[in-house]
Amino acid sequence: MNVQRFNNGDADADLVVVGSGVVGALIAEQLAGAQRSVLILEAGPRLDRAQVVENWRNLNFQQRVSSDFQSLYPQSPLATAPLDFPPNGYVLLTGKNGTSFDQGYIRAVGGTTWHWAASCWRHLPVDFQMRTKYGVGRDWPISYSDLEPYYCRAEQAMGVSGPNDPAMQSPAERSQPYPNDMIPWAHGDTRVAEIVNPHGYRSVPIPQGRAVRPWKNRPACCGNNNCQPICPIGAMYNAVHTVQAAEAKGVTVLAESVVYAIDTDMNNRVTAVRWYDRNRQSHRATGRAFVIACNALETPRLLLMAANAQNPNGIANRSDQVGRNLMDHSGFHCTFLASEPLWLGRGPAQSSCLVGARDGAFRSEYSANKIILNNISRVGPATQQALKLGLTGAALRDEIRRRAIHGVDLSISLEPLPAPQNRLTLSRTRHDALGLPCPDINYELDDYVHRGYDAAAQQLRHIGSLFNAVEFEVTTSLNANNHMMGSTIMGSDPKDSVVDGDCRSHDHPNLWLPGGGPMPSASVVNSTLSMAALGLKCADSVRRTLEHA
Amino acid sequence: MMDGPFGNVHSGWLAVSALSCMAAVVPSVAHAEVGARELTEQGRYLAIAGDCGACHTRPEGGKAFAGGYAINSPVGAIYSTNITSSSIAGIGAYSEAQFSRALRKGIRRDGAHLYPAMPYTAYAKLSDADVHALYVYFTQSVPAVDEHPPATRLPFPFNLRVSMSIWNALFLSKARLAADPRRSAEWNRGAYLAEALEHCGACHTPRNALMAEQSGRQFAGTRVGSWYAPNITSDPVSGIGAWSRDEVVQYLKTGAVHGKAQAAGGMAEAVGNSLQYLTPGDLEDLATYLMSVAPIRDQSDSRARDTWGTPVDQETELRGRPTTAGSEQPEGYSLYSGNCASCHQPTGAGTADHSYPALFHNSATGARHADNLVAAILFGVDREVGGRRALMPRFDATSYVQPLKDTEVATLANYVLHEFGNPTAHVTIEDVAAVRSQGFAKWLVQLADGLLIFAGVAIVALGLWMLWRRRRAQP
Repeated sequence: MNVQRFNNGDADADLVVVGSGVVGALIAEQLAGAQRSVLILEAGPRLDRAQVVENWRNLNFQQRVSSDFQSLYPQSPLATAPLDFPPNGYVLLTGKNGTSFDQGYIRAVGGTTWHWAASCWRHLPVDFQMRTKYGVGRDWPISYSDLEPYYCRAEQAMGVSGPNDPAMQSPAERSQPYPNDMIPWAHGDTRVAEIVNPHGYRSVPIPQGRAVRPWKNRPACCGNNNCQPICPIGAMYNAVHTVQAAEAKGVTVLAESVVYAIDTDMNNRVTAVRWYDRNRQSHRATGRAFVIACNALETPRLLLMAANAQNPNGIANRSDQVGRNLMDHSGFHCTFLASEPLWLGRGPAQSSCLVGARDGAFRSEYSANKIILNNISRVGPATQQALKLGLTGAALRDEIRRRAIHGVDLSISLEPLPAPQNRLTLSRTRHDALGLPCPDINYELDDYVHRGYDAAAQQLRHIGSLFNAVEFEVTTSLNANNHMMGSTIMGSDPKDSVVDGDCRSHDHPNLWLPGGGPMPSASVVNSTLSMAALGLKCADSVRRTLEHA
Repeated sequence: MMDGPFGNVHSGWLAVSALSCMAAVVPSVAHAEVGARELTEQGRYLAIAGDCGACHTRPEGGKAFAGGYAINSPVGAIYSTNITSSSIAGIGAYSEAQFSRALRKGIRRDGAHLYPAMPYTAYAKLSDADVHALYVYFTQSVPAVDEHPPATRLPFPFNLRVSMSIWNALFLSKARLAADPRRSAEWNRGAYLAEALEHCGACHTPRNALMAEQSGRQFAGTRVGSWYAPNITSDPVSGIGAWSRDEVVQYLKTGAVHGKAQAAGGMAEAVGNSLQYLTPGDLEDLATYLMSVAPIRDQSDSRARDTWGTPVDQETELRGRPTTAGSEQPEGYSLYSGNCASCHQPTGAGTADHSYPALFHNSATGARHADNLVAAILFGVDREVGGRRALMPRFDATSYVQPLKDTEVATLANYVLHEFGNPTAHVTIEDVAAVRSQGFAKWLVQLADGLLIFAGVAIVALGLWMLWRRRRAQP
């Protein structure tokens, strides 16, 4: 049962998974564990960690300080991903806030968990009921308590370290402790918490997919401070870990295999997907169940380009919601020099976060926020600033040191609401190397987010005053956070949503579209753990469906 | 001191010593109780020193001494047995004589021979008093687990346990270890620990063609599966004769001596399961004995394996060149920098606290046999001492960090040997393939394979001889 069959380049499996990121890999591993044959088709290549590490070390200073996390990752010529140095134009961004949706994601075995910060947040219970509680956005068709067991399983699968002291949890509604207790705070995290917490900002430990002790076969994090763009020692959870566990259970992963078409039968069940191999030869993978877990841009892109006679607006798109309701946490930064040295840059890239404004009655009026104390070494920006002062020699060195130890960078995330006009469509003019249409994105933020920005900026000015900040700056242009959500939105009504609470397509009984795409609310926290939990819930649904088939 | 699977051994042992003093003044009933407790503690300690749990407790959550640990040999899985006090599934119904026969002669209560994964050739040297203490501990103190581990079912001729009697007749010495009156009590205690309990020679003494330890080559070092158990004689060049006593003790206790060696593979298990729990006195005595073992020099060794190498820095010269890691022809520098330098540092000096050891003055990179370097790259290092786990990730096909091919491991190992270690050592692609194919099996298992194959061949030969005789006898 547990073996995929190959015939003349075509394949057959109980479950065909498109995409080998954290969501696809977890589902594949679960189903292989249930004795199902599973095939993963991944558009991108297998990566060599040492090559990526060395590419990063060889990267020029300008790209490093500009946080270029993309260009060090080799791409398949047939599976383009966004590049900014220089821009490769793969994604066309339009709309008033188009530039704030400039996402960086990786198309490779393991997906974008190669260069995430491994922050493993849960949504708050109230985040599942935005319409009911605050009269804005959408409710989920499932509750926090429905997803809570899957959050626990996802935390186990990813080896999360988080605070086991309920007073430091966000949220504290948990049925199980974290697999590992919180990553110990460095001096900077501790001092910032001491200074801001009396004022209600509530600095708490960030739950993280890494540990300071060896965890299973994963080495201990030793604070290379290099989580993004690449953990050089594999201490950070990366979906390749799950891919390997899945392969050990019999899953076959075909890299550089670009799925471009989806076949359906007269009952609108999916019968096969078709893919191009690295030699541009087309093949077909038949199966009983299909999971498309590319990400919240590539999944709707595939669904739209796979339109067929029976589904002329795209697969799973009777609601016309595929590609719509796109969300990302709109980000901005606050930088300053504190009067006391805080020595940021020791330990993981992000370890503490201010969640005092994560929830409140104000959410009926404006966006919540979270304020991450960015713990990435300030030596790069400090050097840039000191060079601008025209210093040389010992004066330059001393100024770099002063700025590196006093420098603070806060990374703020705002919560958008799902809006149908924020959408991905297929370009009519731009095509990738296989001739497949590139994505166009229209993105415009409403006043809910802008008012949230104003409230956050006011909080930041107050925080700055607590540190006697000089050179206090708050960026005004919003940046992307690579937390793409909403584009295959979940709901109970097939007329205005794409999938149900198990991430199963309303239109096709054997097609699941898990990941960030189904999430109807963004909260203000990184989306990966919620995506993984939804993936595990989806895996249970796939397993039950195959059992009853 | 950590609470290992056997509880807090150190303080337990010290408590025993304290109780022994009390026993001298507390009379009658209390005396008997103290005596029984003392005996149990002694047995518990001996079980640790003999490393019984290494095989009889299933790793990752197995109940103590309940067996069921699958020892995968090429001829099939050998399952360790339940040695708890259960009279149903364990050894609770064994008499002391039956227990002793199993321990020292490898013969079960029902008369069947044990497979030689059980190191009974070493345990044969145990004193009667210690066998008694072990018997009391296992049958009265180890909680009963009434679960039968899976039965070992090997194919013919390996299922003929009786074949072991032939090998036993040839090589099993039934002698207890006799004290050497010319040596100190400390030396004799050390010899007993090394020979009877810790069975050091099982790995460190080369074997003859029939898999028996070579008598004149004690601790001269030999291949043990993927790893190389090095020469630990007192020779200052080929062995550990240049180590101080404190260094020997520290190594046995922690598995790591900066500037000398770090335990990996089977030695990491020996330290983690057993040696770290020995009393300070026993560790000293063990060191006394080890340092006295007759030196054996390998004439091709020109200097001690832990004296090679210096820090090297190629960063300034080579940084910025496009990396060759991940290409068809990766170079050593790229492989080292991308895979190793984050921890061992570009200079190979490791970290100041030695959590990541230096790669120079390191027996793994200085030995003429580079097996341990290759095995450490492929299988990593996993050692838990005092509640702290030292983990170097593996780089074989199951690596979470980066699976490396044979060619990459060979290039990387040769770079490390050339830059930081013994430049006269060389690793070929075939060497890497050989180490990889051995996997990470316990040495005793591989030893058992050898014995089983010998025994199987002996049985078949015996059968053929009998057939030949019968044919000849026919008119």
